[in-house]
Amino acid sequence: MTLTREAPVVAAPPAARTRPRRDGLANALMVAPATVLYTVMLIVPVGLAFYLSLTDWDGFSANPAFVGAGNYADLLDDPELRRAAAVTLLIAAAGTAGLNLLGLGFALLVNGASRANTFFRIVLFYPHVLSALVVGFLWSAILGTSGAVNNLVTSWGGEVLPFLSDPEWATVTMIAVLVWAGFGVNVVLYLAGLQAVPHSLIEAARIDGATRWQVFRNVTLPALGPSVTVNIVLSLVTLLKTYDLVVSLTAGGPAGQTQTVAYLILWNSFHDARLGFGSAQSVILMLVTAALAFVVTRLRRRGELAVHQ
Amino acid sequence: MRKTFLWLSAVFMLVPLYVLTVNAFKGQQEILADPFGLAGLTLEPLARALTNPQFNVVKGYAITLLFVVAVNVLSVVLAAPAAYVIARSPKRRFRVLMLFFLAGTFIPGQVLVIPVVYVLKTLGLMGTIRGFVLFETTLTLPFSIFLYAGYIATIPAVLDQAAAVDGAGRLRTFWQIVFPLMRPAVATMVILNTFSVWNDFVNPQIILGPGSGLYTVTTGVYAAVSQYATDYTVVFPTLLLAIAPLLVFFVFMQRHIISGLTAGATKG
Repeated sequence: MTLTREAPVVAAPPAARTRPRRDGLANALMVAPATVLYTVMLIVPVGLAFYLSLTDWDGFSANPAFVGAGNYADLLDDPELRRAAAVTLLIAAAGTAGLNLLGLGFALLVNGASRANTFFRIVLFYPHVLSALVVGFLWSAILGTSGAVNNLVTSWGGEVLPFLSDPEWATVTMIAVLVWAGFGVNVVLYLAGLQAVPHSLIEAARIDGATRWQVFRNVTLPALGPSVTVNIVLSLVTLLKTYDLVVSLTAGGPAGQTQTVAYLILWNSFHDARLGFGSAQSVILMLVTAALAFVVTRLRRRGELAVHQ
Repeated sequence: MRKTFLWLSAVFMLVPLYVLTVNAFKGQQEILADPFGLAGLTLEPLARALTNPQFNVVKGYAITLLFVVAVNVLSVVLAAPAAYVIARSPKRRFRVLMLFFLAGTFIPGQVLVIPVVYVLKTLGLMGTIRGFVLFETTLTLPFSIFLYAGYIATIPAVLDQAAAVDGAGRLRTFWQIVFPLMRPAVATMVILNTFSVWNDFVNPQIILGPGSGLYTVTTGVYAAVSQYATDYTVVFPTLLLAIAPLLVFFVFMQRHIISGLTAGATKG
């Protein structure tokens, strides 16, 4: 089928004919290695994830048995998964709000070129270059029962604060650490968006007597529309797959109360050797993530259109 | 008001780093008695962390560096020529190929790890350095090709034509004329890939596995710290050793890193 699309070679003189053919070969040679590797290691696995989710693969057997929709049925009445889904959605919703409020707020504060602003941007951003695993271990050493903060509190005669040992506190702590470690990225992204806000509009509004808040609400924020969409979708997608930080900050505890879906997927797959079941969960996670990203983008676009009318 | 608030925020951002750094140089008693103080500093915990039998930090650095270099080299060698053909050829099949690669930027790595284990087992590459480097390289391909193709499109095609007139083949034209001009785009990708390989936890943990004895800095930190989470003379020095090279790299390259990571973050 692809052959029919080749350039017509019938009338071409011999010298001009060898050149495109040699180029065609060179093109194929330059594209093939990347395409093959990408197909084998990324496209095939995506298809396999669907297939494996219909089997009882344990990670060892060469021929896993086909169980149809069995894994999906199990997943529907798995209380652990239901709890993990609720925790994950809470983290994603609250985390997205936190990341974007702080991201936009600080972007407005450090906007403009000055040495101090450069310093603040670096300081707000640096946790992002640390691995989430290290960030989690570090904060658990600070907020744990015998950690730095509780040492200070007890030496002043206070009670130990259950940052990581009470389920509700632990969830809030995790969201706070995720926001602490990540909002620097949102600051940088919003700063890039602020460069695109036309200065003349802001000045015109000022001259017309608008207050700072009115300028922000009616000029800056609408012009930032696309940035807001990118930031929200990005935060959601990232937070929905929270894993490393769970491992290092709480290890899913206390009593499994802070396990996220990604944590459960890897636990079921590699601790319980139920990779078929884990595949079913990751297929669901992938679909939910894609659907949420799609819905947010659509809602935001409708909102932006409404603003422009 | 604004300045005061920003300084307070900066302090809040930096306190954990301060706690990490000072306590890496203190004994357990001093840490528990005064986690923020500077009394009784000693190099002893750091020296012990360097010789920890649970996790050989120096070997961890070496292995991680090997992975970082291997993934970066392989990624550039595979992605750059492919991006060149995609950017330069008017044929429809290469535009379709671009879309095929773009689809990969939307697939989160975590979803892939289970089926990738299956693929690697089938190929006999599970638990091997080759298997890990190949998969980690694959994760870099979609965005690299996207970024490189966009960059190559800004390089005038007259350059290629001149080289072709002089008799250079397509491969030579690319590697000798176009590739040297791609330096900014390649630098951005190398920075992005260096961070993602260095900080990756799930893939080395599962593909290399504890049985292989191959610890990257991140999986090594997990092995060393998770069981001794309350022995702070292990936790703080190990974490400091794990992040020090990355922080130094960040401080010196922060401009490029922030713009590079911004480009990476917006890929969605």
